[in-house]
Amino acid sequence: MNLLTPTLAAIIFGAGAAAGALGVALGLGGGIFLVPFLTLALGFPLKTAAAISLCTVIATSSAVSARRAGNQLINLRLGMVLETATTIGSLLGGITAQYLAESTLQRLFGLVAIAVALVMLGRINRRNVMTDPNADPGRLGGRFHEDESGGVVTYRIKRLPLALTASFIAGNVSSLLGIGGGIIKVPVLNAWCGVPLRAAAATSALMIGVTATGGAIIYYGHGDLRPLLAAPAVLGVQAGSWAGTRLTEQTSVKWLKLLMASLLVVVALLMFVRSMR
Amino acid sequence: MNRLEQRIGEVLHVGTFLSSLLFAAGLVMTLVGFRTELSQILLATALVVLIATPPARVVVSVIEYVRERDWVFVALTLVVLLALAGSVAAAYF
Repeated sequence: MNLLTPTLAAIIFGAGAAAGALGVALGLGGGIFLVPFLTLALGFPLKTAAAISLCTVIATSSAVSARRAGNQLINLRLGMVLETATTIGSLLGGITAQYLAESTLQRLFGLVAIAVALVMLGRINRRNVMTDPNADPGRLGGRFHEDESGGVVTYRIKRLPLALTASFIAGNVSSLLGIGGGIIKVPVLNAWCGVPLRAAAATSALMIGVTATGGAIIYYGHGDLRPLLAAPAVLGVQAGSWAGTRLTEQTSVKWLKLLMASLLVVVALLMFVRSMR
Repeated sequence: MNRLEQRIGEVLHVGTFLSSLLFAAGLVMTLVGFRTELSQILLATALVVLIATPPARVVVSVIEYVRERDWVFVALTLVVLLALAGSVAAAYF
């Protein structure tokens, strides 16, 4: 696998672009689609696929957050608090990954893919909740201007221990499986911790960069991360998320979610079948 | 826009741009047949820049929180850096 042919590079680039575009449309990092493609279609070991995917997670996080910095959606203080949990989680997950068998990782990925599909279906009609604009955001809360309603949204953080627990688990899963972990944090922050959806997504997008870094460093040290394979994936995801930002259209997202949830169930089944061999 | 957010935006912007540029250069060189020491160095540097960008953003935050004398957040961001240092240790044992 040391030889990267132009064809293989083009396939990885294309897969990255598709994952990046879908990620933007669905508010995910795209790793949940890239990892199964690399393992199931190209036959990469799960650790290699996870390591490549973590690089694309870092790239997406940095690019998206650089663009968003200054529009108040990213809650820096909340992000810094929760990052303590995600990075410790990713450290432990990265160490654990080195001791787990390929088949165990595949089954774990299958389970997470099903969970993601369920979350996606459960939140198919979810909209942003407006809160009282005069409320005091507290020490960790935030305030941002919402374009759609033209108003200012203010929110307070509730149930911080729950947010920390979800972040810790997200960090673990991120390192183990090569995904960002936003799919775990965003619904929890939004549903139970009082964070409006867009702020939760933006804050999570910032956090997944530093979270994925913890895992990527460990894979790199163990020789599972090859720069030559990461290159087309990172460039593909960058191109895809750039294109995705331009293409995203509200009306089609619902169908896209349905389609992707079904696809994830198929991915999960394939992962289970593969793990039996 | 607050100062910290602006600084973070700059760090992320430069990191993303630089790593993509180096990845593209290294990849193109390899694909057209110049798989040389230089192309390998470019790719390795791209990876290092990519991976170093989020921690660099955390370092900038530590500095800014020290300037603001916000010791709680200095401690929190240091915990994040410590966990990343733990990953570096775990990578090489």
